[in-house]
Amino acid sequence: MTPPLDLNRRQFLGAAGLAAGTALLAGCAPSASAAGTRPLQFWHLLSGGDGVTMSGLLDAVNSAQADYRIRPTVLAWGTPYYTKLAMAAAGGRAPDVAIMHATRVLGWAPGGLLDAWDTGRLADLGVDASTFPDPIWKKGEVDGKRLSIALDAHPFVLMYNTDVCRKAGVLGADGRLKEAKSPDEFLAMVDAIAGVTGGHGLSYGYLGDGSQMWRLFYTLYTQHGIEMAMPQGGSAVIDKDAAVASLAFMQKLLDGKRAAKQADYGTAVAEFATGKSGMFLSGVWELRTMLAAKIPFDIAMIPPLFGARTAYADSHSFVLPHQSHPDPASRDLVYRFVADMLKGSFGWAEAGHIPAYLPVTGSPQYADLLPQAHYAEAAGYVRYDPPAWFTGSGSNFQGQFGAAAQPALLGGGSPADAIARFEEAVARFQAQPNPADPEGARR
Amino acid sequence: MTAAATTTTIVTGRAATRAARRHAGGSRGGEQLIGWVFLAPFLGAFALFLAWPILHGLYLSFTDQSLTGSGGGFVGVANYVEALGDPVMWGAFGNTVWFTVLSTVPLVVIALLMAVLVDRGLPGQWLWRLSFFMPYLLASTVISQIWIWIFNPQIGAANNVLKAFGLEPIAWLQDPAVNMLAIVIATVWWTIGFNFLLYLAALQNIPQQQYEAAALDGAGGWRQFWSITLPQLGPATTLIGLLQILASLKLFDQAYQMLGGLSSDTTRSIVQYIYETGFVGYRFGYSAAISYVFFAIIIILGVAQALITRRRKDVR
Repeated sequence: MTPPLDLNRRQFLGAAGLAAGTALLAGCAPSASAAGTRPLQFWHLLSGGDGVTMSGLLDAVNSAQADYRIRPTVLAWGTPYYTKLAMAAAGGRAPDVAIMHATRVLGWAPGGLLDAWDTGRLADLGVDASTFPDPIWKKGEVDGKRLSIALDAHPFVLMYNTDVCRKAGVLGADGRLKEAKSPDEFLAMVDAIAGVTGGHGLSYGYLGDGSQMWRLFYTLYTQHGIEMAMPQGGSAVIDKDAAVASLAFMQKLLDGKRAAKQADYGTAVAEFATGKSGMFLSGVWELRTMLAAKIPFDIAMIPPLFGARTAYADSHSFVLPHQSHPDPASRDLVYRFVADMLKGSFGWAEAGHIPAYLPVTGSPQYADLLPQAHYAEAAGYVRYDPPAWFTGSGSNFQGQFGAAAQPALLGGGSPADAIARFEEAVARFQAQPNPADPEGARR
Repeated sequence: MTAAATTTTIVTGRAATRAARRHAGGSRGGEQLIGWVFLAPFLGAFALFLAWPILHGLYLSFTDQSLTGSGGGFVGVANYVEALGDPVMWGAFGNTVWFTVLSTVPLVVIALLMAVLVDRGLPGQWLWRLSFFMPYLLASTVISQIWIWIFNPQIGAANNVLKAFGLEPIAWLQDPAVNMLAIVIATVWWTIGFNFLLYLAALQNIPQQQYEAAALDGAGGWRQFWSITLPQLGPATTLIGLLQILASLKLFDQAYQMLGGLSSDTTRSIVQYIYETGFVGYRFGYSAAISYVFFAIIIILGVAQALITRRRKDVR
């Protein structure tokens, strides 16, 4: 315990204080690593495996040039993120660029929380309608203004264990899952798989998770060739027969043999990841989990059981949260950053998401990327939440769907009753004004 | 020690004169000033974090302020009219009351039972005391995680117990028929230690002579319990009941965490609805109005309770 320097107490305290003060000041100053490098604030909500992949992408774009340096801030997914982003934008002191779910953009559009992208500047950087699948590009436009630019589409898909499925005889000659053309055909496949595993044929976790229920339900619903509409102040357009048929099919899956009657998200992931079931209904974002589990698996779009080929999806999209006094030089760099990210989004496919930028998914390199290439077509068939201010990922709306549907899935309640409860919830939402809309405050 | 002593002697002379002057009536104001200085840290925090939010919240409840910065115009009592006619708010209020009833009764009765058993001298008293109180020290997040696992429908301990008795597994946290009960069970396990401790302290304050006298008069164990223990615990029970009702009405964190934010019509508490309206739905004005309606209801309940207890005392 001999002090290395012969300092008395006062000298030591003085030196320590000075050192701490310098460290504090250094923390405040934008530490430009190279002269002229501008820091850009970037907020996103991606954690876990997605977060790891995202920081890899950011490192790549940061080190590829010296003009800007992205400083990411990661906030908890869902409500906590959107609450904070909304408040930052409302105050006009938002980060330079942020990620939003494409489905949440509409609700934010009227209040001026988002600044519009200049399509001319984007086109100069090689980002325009021709470089995106049609439905994904269109989703970013609200009232003629380009408010978001999609990084990806992350659809709800069908993962399957190739070993188990081969034994069950449900694979085709190409080693990929045979495509079921009707609900009964699919149920028969699940039964065959259950015969092989001795446990459940399929894993699907939904308990207490409104989003999970909605994702599968809306895939099945849109397979009827229709979509829901929920205009503000009007009455919702929901095809009751299609809705009941979709929910009834989900009930048939969850009979305790084909799939567990009571499974939450984590249980279903664990069941499939340990090879105890042959199929798994989930989002593409679980790809990393399954790779880490080292099981033989592949991924397909959910087969068109009710006719049309569709996939419920959402897109992580770049937005410009409103700044009262945007710095023109920083804005310029934000455009470059987004273009750099899109062009470098091959790495984003590692996390399972389908890059939205067509030159990436159209590359020969991507065609060799398995299993990603096997479901990349889903990007052309995406179906987003019905457009309304209250819908979208992490919204109350999906939770309300879950609250209505769960009794039917769990206890075998009547699907028609569940849909009726859902319609009531939708009507309640429609009667409320969009809280972000200064005009609609009390209409 | 010596240094302190010396200082004291030096000061005494001057302090004495000052004290004398003060008593003469000169600087009462100065003393008050010092008092206020000592109060200032608390008053500052109180004004900033309690008084101001309460007043500002009241103001917000008369506006259509949105979290997104839009709105903010004065709308009169429109929010209150909407709240009073909002079936979801009344449903949430009903859930809150139901939870309060379901949780308060066992939290008082079982705590009493545990305290009496421990007080009667179960072997290893310190172990009981420790283990009953321990869960209370844990954060709600920890409690929620523990019970999410216990209530897991497929691999949870709760269903394993049911299976051992040949019963059907239950989706504790997801089935609307039982999820409120599951929250109650977790809450009771979590917070009962505090009530237990209050009861134990009260029990140990009952004078032993009363029991001795009763025993001489031939009163048995039950008689003593009903005629001495329970009446002597009266004030403690009133306190525990009151604290418990207030705590239960605030139901939010453990339910929110255990249900993963899925707001089901059978578990949504009023605080949860205030949160959903304000922070998920961005309607600050309306959510402020709901919280004031709730505030008013609690005050009415509180006054009613005060009146009832007073009347009871008068009758006695």
